[in-house]
Amino acid sequence: MAAEARARRLALRPGLALPALAFLLMLGAIIAAEPRVASYFGLTVLLGFAMPAIFAALAQMAVIAAGDIDLGIGPFLSLVNCIAATWLTDRPAAGLAALAGLVALYAAMGALIHARALPAIVVTLGASFVWLGLAILVLPTPGGAAPAWLAAVAAWRPPLLPLPLLVGLLAGAAAEWLLMRGAYGVVLRGIGGNPRAVARGGWSLLRARMSLYAAAGLAGVLGGLALTGLDTSGDATVGGQYTLVSIAAVIVGGGEFTGGVVSPAGAVLGAFIMLLTGSLLSFLDVSTDWQLSAQGGILILVLAARALRRRGRA
Amino acid sequence: MKPISYIGRAATVAVLALACGLSGAATPARAGGRSTAQDGIALSNSYAGNGWRQQMLKMWNGAAGYATHHHIIARTKVVNSNNSATQQASQIADLTLQGWKAIVIDAASPTALNGVIAQACAAHIVVVVFDSLATAPCAYKVAYNYVSMGEMEANYVAKRLGGKGNVLEVRGIAGTSVDHDIHEGIVKGFAKYPAIKLVGSVHGNWTQSIAQKEVAGLLPSLPPVQAVVTQGGDGYGTYAAFKAAGRPTPLIIMGNRQDELALWQKLASAPGGYQTFSLSSAPGVSSIAFWVAQQILAGAKVPHTVNVPLLVIRQNELAAWLKAVPAGGVSTPLYSQKWTEELIAANLSGKAPPASPIPTGMP
Amino acid sequence: MNPQPAEAFARLEGVAKSFGAVRALAGVDLAVPPGRMLGLVGHNGAGKSTLMQILAGALAPDRGSIRIAGRDETRGWDVRRAHGLGVRCVFQELSLCPNLTVAENARIMHPALSGWGWRRRARALMRAALDALFPGHGIDPDRQVGSLPVGQRQMVETARAFSETDTAVRLVILDEPTSSLDAAAAANLLAYTERARARGIACVFISHRLHEILGHADEVVVLRDGQVASASPAAGLSEAALVERMGEVRGEEEPGATAATSRSGARRLSRPARASLGERFGIDVRAGEVVGLSGLAGHGQREFLLAAFAAAGHGGRAAHGEGAVAVHGSAAHVSGDRQNDGIFPLWSIGRNTTIGLIRRLARAGILPLRAEAALAARWREALSIRAPDIETPILSLSGGNQQKVLVARAFATEADLILFDDPLRGVDVGTKRELYHHVRAAAAAGRAFLWYTTENAELVHCDRVYVFARGVVTDQIPRAELTEERVIRASFATPADLSRHGG
Repeated sequence: MAAEARARRLALRPGLALPALAFLLMLGAIIAAEPRVASYFGLTVLLGFAMPAIFAALAQMAVIAAGDIDLGIGPFLSLVNCIAATWLTDRPAAGLAALAGLVALYAAMGALIHARALPAIVVTLGASFVWLGLAILVLPTPGGAAPAWLAAVAAWRPPLLPLPLLVGLLAGAAAEWLLMRGAYGVVLRGIGGNPRAVARGGWSLLRARMSLYAAAGLAGVLGGLALTGLDTSGDATVGGQYTLVSIAAVIVGGGEFTGGVVSPAGAVLGAFIMLLTGSLLSFLDVSTDWQLSAQGGILILVLAARALRRRGRA
Repeated sequence: MKPISYIGRAATVAVLALACGLSGAATPARAGGRSTAQDGIALSNSYAGNGWRQQMLKMWNGAAGYATHHHIIARTKVVNSNNSATQQASQIADLTLQGWKAIVIDAASPTALNGVIAQACAAHIVVVVFDSLATAPCAYKVAYNYVSMGEMEANYVAKRLGGKGNVLEVRGIAGTSVDHDIHEGIVKGFAKYPAIKLVGSVHGNWTQSIAQKEVAGLLPSLPPVQAVVTQGGDGYGTYAAFKAAGRPTPLIIMGNRQDELALWQKLASAPGGYQTFSLSSAPGVSSIAFWVAQQILAGAKVPHTVNVPLLVIRQNELAAWLKAVPAGGVSTPLYSQKWTEELIAANLSGKAPPASPIPTGMP
Repeated sequence: MNPQPAEAFARLEGVAKSFGAVRALAGVDLAVPPGRMLGLVGHNGAGKSTLMQILAGALAPDRGSIRIAGRDETRGWDVRRAHGLGVRCVFQELSLCPNLTVAENARIMHPALSGWGWRRRARALMRAALDALFPGHGIDPDRQVGSLPVGQRQMVETARAFSETDTAVRLVILDEPTSSLDAAAAANLLAYTERARARGIACVFISHRLHEILGHADEVVVLRDGQVASASPAAGLSEAALVERMGEVRGEEEPGATAATSRSGARRLSRPARASLGERFGIDVRAGEVVGLSGLAGHGQREFLLAAFAAAGHGGRAAHGEGAVAVHGSAAHVSGDRQNDGIFPLWSIGRNTTIGLIRRLARAGILPLRAEAALAARWREALSIRAPDIETPILSLSGGNQQKVLVARAFATEADLILFDDPLRGVDVGTKRELYHHVRAAAAAGRAFLWYTTENAELVHCDRVYVFARGVVTDQIPRAELTEERVIRASFATPADLSRHGG
């Protein structure tokens, strides 16, 4: 009875089956094309660059949960990358303080959007230029070096599970637990669904939105650190494409642009899927010039499939 | 500046000779003794959106196609990213898994690929970077000395202006090592001439349309400009912006695009004439990088950095080069395996590099 | 008023609230004794919902005091405080998050549902509350609320209001709780409120179904224009008496010029009666007539206007089958919601007037500006739009004058049939008078008007009024027989009433 109820709850989670199936199919196709991928080393190399995308997707998901959208997460990752490759290496205390300050800035951005009833799409677009400008100030030309410990973490080979899968599992589980299972997480998702209902429950909408944005900032910092560990250096323009990749990952993972419908596990799967889209083409020997079109195509396919399913249900 | 005159003469000779550069040049996997007939060499290119890069890809295909046809290597593949370092990094990770023996890289960032390059080296893959370099220590570098390119431009301009005047700088894609090095050379070169002022700088991204737009946007705020230092691919756009603004045409350093050379020819044959020179990196450098990778795989002794001479075209050689470059093309030689072996030998011995082969326009 | 003031659980005194220039409440006294149910009735805009939002802590009053359980709570009265003292509210627009499950929505209301195992407790809480109110409800607490039909959502919201964690429920406000429930569920709810009252829980019950109020409330308060019109025990009251108290005396205004009463003009619009819905009246509009649409807001009038407009745009007939609207001639539509679907905010008065005519004015694809300007100027003159000239930006006008521009646009199209969707909402009296006059004049010139209004006083300008209830025409009232009472009675008519009256 309890197991059945749990199974039903899992099945009811917005479209988790679809991204999971897509991920496994793509992985299977790549392994079929190149069997050596199906090894500890192969998966580590293939999925390595999913790590920053996973955190970027989770950051984007926190903002989308509030019914907003974040157009600045990519440049934000660049900024974290530049700080991590310079200050965090030379003056760890100052570096950590700067990263904590960035999380606070994200929370303040949430407060601004709430208090002035500004459209998040405009505020975060403006912020994206601020992040980029700060990143160039911190590191005008590409260079710097990741702290040794960070590079070591990124190169760490954990037992049993390749690092990218382990990171995806842990980050996804933590986000699931906080946002989907936790008592306050329900309130946070509620503001994306019906803010007035949450306010009439006596909750502070300001505090809820600030919490979500702070969580986004924290995930963005983790994503920037993961990127730094992989690249072992800093570059002010390196994160640009994560804005669109993160949005696509959330949507492919079963999230919706409006209404607070999100899925942390889906966002993690979405990040893997967006990465594998490019790899799959490469392994199938299709020109990489198709990669952007393929990623866009997958997004449209997912949305179309979802619309069809919804119509079927209605 | 000895190498310049040397290359200039060599090019002229080559053009006039119109001899076949490749015939009988290569013998399969000669140097070092190890056969590379079963190996694959892949190219990871950061950006394919301008004429130079398109020509570079054609030159790669020319060299790699020749090599596969003659069973020097087994296969090749080209992967382009959209000027995104992270996309290119994950593409290199994919190539690492696909079993390529060597990966040749034109990098989107001098640093952001270092992690993934180290990963490839650790998997015993030969990594060769060229044009836009990456700084990863384990990678072989096929390098133009772009700092010296900037210095040569600065010296030429200073000489022509008599050590005094206003200069506009048109730069390439921000954040790349090429742009960084040329700029550094220009600043270094002009440091010797305090009366020459750099009055402005824009990023033309080595693309005529972007250079035109950017220069046109900046011009109204500038004092009279006597000369423009460029990075190639941006000379025609710069000229168009000056013309549209009704300003007198300044001294513009030209690159090696056909439209730039044709413009130069037109201005030179008009009353009053026009004098400048063309200094550029040849897109054919991809073929050098290919052969360098092949030589390393074959076990040949190759220095960690292979320096490649810049392509210089002077006023008296202009007509000959123009003939060899089709409309819309970029002038470049296709370098052969033999030529590359000579280049490597020259690098090892510290001697002058071999003469440039005949330019092939290749539409 | 209430004879037992000392015992009241909740007591509001002199509560007033205005939204901008609109006065919603003008000093209301209300006392809710424990264990009793107070019925609250009134016409649209009488202030019922505003009053209840103030009692629930969702709105702060401008003036007046709030006493709960004998203590003055006026300062710091908000939703949290209200919950803490056991005051709950089922709002008219549902207050559920559609993206959360039933159990998660319980969490939104109960801060005490937190910590380890809160999910299990929330599920049990909602299951118990639903079982108590709606036996056999069949609602899974893990279902997403957005995937439930609206009736079940209403059940969830109502059950949630009666659920208890750390504080006891003392007062539940039910704002139209039965509007989307079926008969069985509504009966369940009302029966449950009887049991709740026996436990000392007070209720405030708002409903347009007067028989429900009369059948279950202990006391009935009638609100009219933001004031208490009457308060008396439910026993001995009749529906007719309530309707009379809700309505007001006939508008003082005399009907305009002589009306074109004869129904001889060309037919402009027709819709046959839909017998399958129990409808006895077809709709018929002829040239020269002004026909009113009335009834409570949201009962199908707006949809009918849009269907008529669509029919005019599609060769006269929008859909086939029963109840298809047929329109003969051209139609123009004027919306009262000018900000959302009326004006072009960046354009001038002139361009806003002539936009509907561009195609007709154009010569070979070119717009003759002079002719356009002349036309706009003529209509500005005709409707006396107060602006220096037609080049004035429309946003510099007052709301009433903006609305005039929209009416001018409809008139300028020379359409045969003009559809008014409550166009004079929020317009001052002077402007209204002018426009009534213009409508009359245009009708006399052969135009036909179909006019939906939420202000019953405006109906006196119509030759004939159709009253809507639940999407069905429940009465057709010629002007000579028009009384507010009859309009209200038809507004509250149910399908059962229709069949009872017979054909």
